[in-house]
Amino acid sequence: MEFFSQTYVALRGPQGQPQTASETIGRLSDRLSPATLLADRRAAVLALKGLSRDHKQDVGDRALAGLLDVLASDAEIDSDIGKAVLETLIVLCEVDPANKELGFKYTDIVLATEKTVHTLFTLLGDNSFYTRFSTIEYLAILLQNRRQVVQSYFLKAPAGTRNVIAILEDKREIIRNEALTMVQTLVAQSPDIQKVLTFEGAFEKLFNIVTQEGGIEGGVVSQGALTCVDALLRFNTSNQSYFKETQLPPALCSLLLYPYTLPLHEPAPQEFALQFWDDQKAVNAGLVVGILGMLIGTKGSASQEASGYIRCLVEIGLASNAPVRLKTQSLRLLPANMNFPLSEIVVTPYMPVPETNGEEWDRLEPASALDALVELALHGEYNGLDSAKRLKNGLELRAAASTVFENFVHSDEIRHAIIQAMLPVEASAPAPPVTPLLHALASPLDTSSVDLAQISSTHFACLLFAHLLRSSPRAKLSARLIKPGPLHPQQSASAGQFFVPADGASPLAATQAEPDDDEPPQTLLQILSENLSLVLLARSRPDASDGENREWDRVVVGYLSLLSQWLWEDPKSVRDFLDSGGLGTLVEPVNQISESDVLIPSLCAFLLGICYEFNREPGEITRSTIHQIINRLGIDNLVAQISRLREDDRFRAIGPDSIVQASPLVAKPGLPAPKQPSQEEVEIWFDWAFVDFWKSNYYTVQRALPTDPNQLSTSAGQNPETAMLVASLREVIRKQAEEIESLQKRLKEQSTQPNEVPQLQKQVTELTAQVSDSAERQKDLEKEQEDLLVLLDEVSAKRKRDKARLKEAGLEVSEDEADDDEDDDE
Amino acid sequence: MSSITWHYVLKFIITGDAAVGKSSLLIRLTDQRFLTNPDPTLGVEFGSKLISIPDEDKIIKLQCWDTAGTESFRSITRSYYRGAAGCLLVYDVTNRKSFVNTKSWLADVREHADPHLTCILVGNKVDLCDETQDAPAKPRQVSTEEAASFAQQEGILFVEASAKSGVNVELAFVEAAQDILQKIKNGVFDDSRSPGVKLSNQPNPNSLTLEQTSSKNNTCCS
Ligand SMILES: Nc1nc2c(ncn2[C@@H]2O[C@H](COP(=O)(O)OP(=O)(O)OP(=O)(O)O)[C@@H](O)[C@H]2O)c(=O)[nH]1
Ligand SMILES: [Mg+2]
Repeated sequence: MEFFSQTYVALRGPQGQPQTASETIGRLSDRLSPATLLADRRAAVLALKGLSRDHKQDVGDRALAGLLDVLASDAEIDSDIGKAVLETLIVLCEVDPANKELGFKYTDIVLATEKTVHTLFTLLGDNSFYTRFSTIEYLAILLQNRRQVVQSYFLKAPAGTRNVIAILEDKREIIRNEALTMVQTLVAQSPDIQKVLTFEGAFEKLFNIVTQEGGIEGGVVSQGALTCVDALLRFNTSNQSYFKETQLPPALCSLLLYPYTLPLHEPAPQEFALQFWDDQKAVNAGLVVGILGMLIGTKGSASQEASGYIRCLVEIGLASNAPVRLKTQSLRLLPANMNFPLSEIVVTPYMPVPETNGEEWDRLEPASALDALVELALHGEYNGLDSAKRLKNGLELRAAASTVFENFVHSDEIRHAIIQAMLPVEASAPAPPVTPLLHALASPLDTSSVDLAQISSTHFACLLFAHLLRSSPRAKLSARLIKPGPLHPQQSASAGQFFVPADGASPLAATQAEPDDDEPPQTLLQILSENLSLVLLARSRPDASDGENREWDRVVVGYLSLLSQWLWEDPKSVRDFLDSGGLGTLVEPVNQISESDVLIPSLCAFLLGICYEFNREPGEITRSTIHQIINRLGIDNLVAQISRLREDDRFRAIGPDSIVQASPLVAKPGLPAPKQPSQEEVEIWFDWAFVDFWKSNYYTVQRALPTDPNQLSTSAGQNPETAMLVASLREVIRKQAEEIESLQKRLKEQSTQPNEVPQLQKQVTELTAQVSDSAERQKDLEKEQEDLLVLLDEVSAKRKRDKARLKEAGLEVSEDEADDDEDDDE
Repeated sequence: MSSITWHYVLKFIITGDAAVGKSSLLIRLTDQRFLTNPDPTLGVEFGSKLISIPDEDKIIKLQCWDTAGTESFRSITRSYYRGAAGCLLVYDVTNRKSFVNTKSWLADVREHADPHLTCILVGNKVDLCDETQDAPAKPRQVSTEEAASFAQQEGILFVEASAKSGVNVELAFVEAAQDILQKIKNGVFDDSRSPGVKLSNQPNPNSLTLEQTSSKNNTCCS
């Protein structure tokens, strides 16, 4: 401090008169020149540092160049001067909210050449605490202000990467933590920097930090390190292939306490499934889950490693006590083209023991992951514990589960198997026990009072069931035959009766017995159309409140969306629906529209149009019957009604990833806002699959409305049998293509392993043979399909001829199969 | 993946003029493929491969960083020299200039890399001037003798190869790896001093067990 006072004395001038700050700063700046003694320079820097807060502009304008020179020449030699000059530069370049330009201006001057940045990255190698610490801090500020410039200089800095790695290894916590923050910005959006740090071993260092800190329990430090790992990997395929070659991916799983090599038939350990969670731990776990999801994404779900990660995410989502957000994230990250054997994995869900504050848990009966997934979508987590509330997190989780289900049943084979399980083994056998999905779908609602839990599960059941049927003629064919056994009104509150504590008796046993059928059991379609009309009645009751009506509307939307997708292109199902009184049910709401009520009439009009367009099977209600009704309702009116669906926010706001919406009723003025966003009440109306379906088809429906009853179908001319045949052949081809692909992949994997060349060669030949075999089979099938189509053509030609002859002979020919002559412009 | 095990991890870099076939050599090594139209490399690309050294009965994990030959990436690719244990210095036998330039590449490598780095000169694209055919697709511009004598002068290994036909590609890496193993045996790298060499069975006090022999160590849930 002696220098300090001496300098001041020296600067005060001969008369000892006080000077202005700017005069002082000017003189101090002169003293920064290399010509002065080191001690004087040091004193000048210290003085400038003291003045820099209050006189940022003066110090910056006069002294910046000198300070940079001092940094370059003295900081390495004298750590006191190094610390002081860095701290001054930090003050100058920091962007303070009051005067933003100044900070940027000085940053730009500092970054005019690469010199200072190179000096800084060299200084990082300096082991003295303050030099290292202030250098990191200063680099962080420069990066924040002008990231790209610093990044481009960094790539040419001689010891840059080495020193960055060194600070990640620093034993002094403060330095290491500061380093994590700086590195996050340094690597942002720069694949080159990401790669060069990877080359120098950044992943290993970062994982060391995480491990030292105690994994995901390691607080913000672990968070910083995991964020860096994520940044090094995301969008960087080169780094991803490096990473997956290391032992780090298994280490990621073990951070979640999940054993990476867990065999498929073994249950996940309890210490993984049940953990103590806090917010910070959830954030850290979320980062790990995010990285796992990214690795699955780049690997495709075929590889063995990927299936380990997928299982880990499935277990978190379905059978753990992880926070809801983490579960949702895990489910969302499952790959869309998932061919993961959900029905073969057995999971063990848990339930919190009431009143134990999440500290005690009951283990439930093991169930297949598929059953657990359906249960989760239908009732929410923990057996529907909170399903009567419409909490944002809860609904998002259920929506995510529904999407996983949708992806899982993408293959026709799987849909078929699921629907088949709802049918008797043989036609004469009794109906099998009602599956949870069918139960939730077909159970009539108690319309005397609103039961939110039940309404939600009915609605989700509609969404799930639509995933099974959408554009699958085969699935629709089987679904028509479903006759659910005896149903019992759903219990309110805890709707999930399908999981019971491992030590308890199943209440389901009671529901199954007592066959009370005097009448023949109804088909599912009949039940749905009856349920629909009951709920439509409930919503038109004059005494119902807005809130109640909104709930009935939701169920109606669920039913109508499902039915639209079911009846589309399926004349037999249309026939069944019309025969069970569906027409009257639909006409009613269309007939009594009001300004405030757009949604339901619009969907009814849409379904009515579908019923008209695809009413192609002989039956009591003919196309002419419907045509008359349509005319009475007014074609223009119906067309307009259908279009108006687009105006409704509940429809319009749906995106592929956002089907959960804020509930307007809760957000009413006067009510206090919810404390946490996660406690916010929300609702679901449509899913993206339906919105997509509607958008692709509403125009066809609108165009079909004015057509003549005798006119042939305007949409795809194939009859359902052909469509089914084509679809199933397509499926076979798709499967074989997949098989070939996976064989090729295996082939590749195999051939990358050394040492087993002869054996592998043998395998290669075998696999090649198999591949060409499958290709052969595929060709045969394609040929077969072609032959079938030709045959079909011949048959219909013959039929046409026969009919013509019948006509000539004066016999009657059925009208709806009228032939389509040579002009094919219908 | 848990069954794969290795004794050493060696870091390699691949350098040389643009378009001499560096990426093609790496892809041939890792994927057994040849692309007629690969994109020029931007910066660096990573590829890895397990090879076995039968004489030593060792399995080696090669971590290869394939660098861009284009001048504008020089400063980026240089950062990789220091950490490498081996270097493939590639030229194109039908392009004399690329051979002449290996001298300056080598100087650059020597300036920045570990002094014990093993370098192998690789004359690529020999398929183009297949002498057994009457009309080679492209005349050779660098004779085998000339390159061999240059390599000898500089004290580096040498091989001619083709990423297209695959001839000698793995050999180039194996020879270099063998040389590195020899150096390890001779104690050139006393206690993992080369950043490009990692031993599987020698725990590094600074790193957790992640880089060690794989297989075990997966039941980390205790
Ligand atoms: N005939 C033949 N062509 C080759 C061979 N190796 C590479 N090529 C071709 O040479 C061209 C350049 O190959 P690259 O592998 O991209 O060269 P590179 O050295 O990685 O180039 P940069 O990434 O720009 O530095 C491509 O058209 C390759 O198909 C070879 O062994 N024989
Ligand atoms: Mg390349």
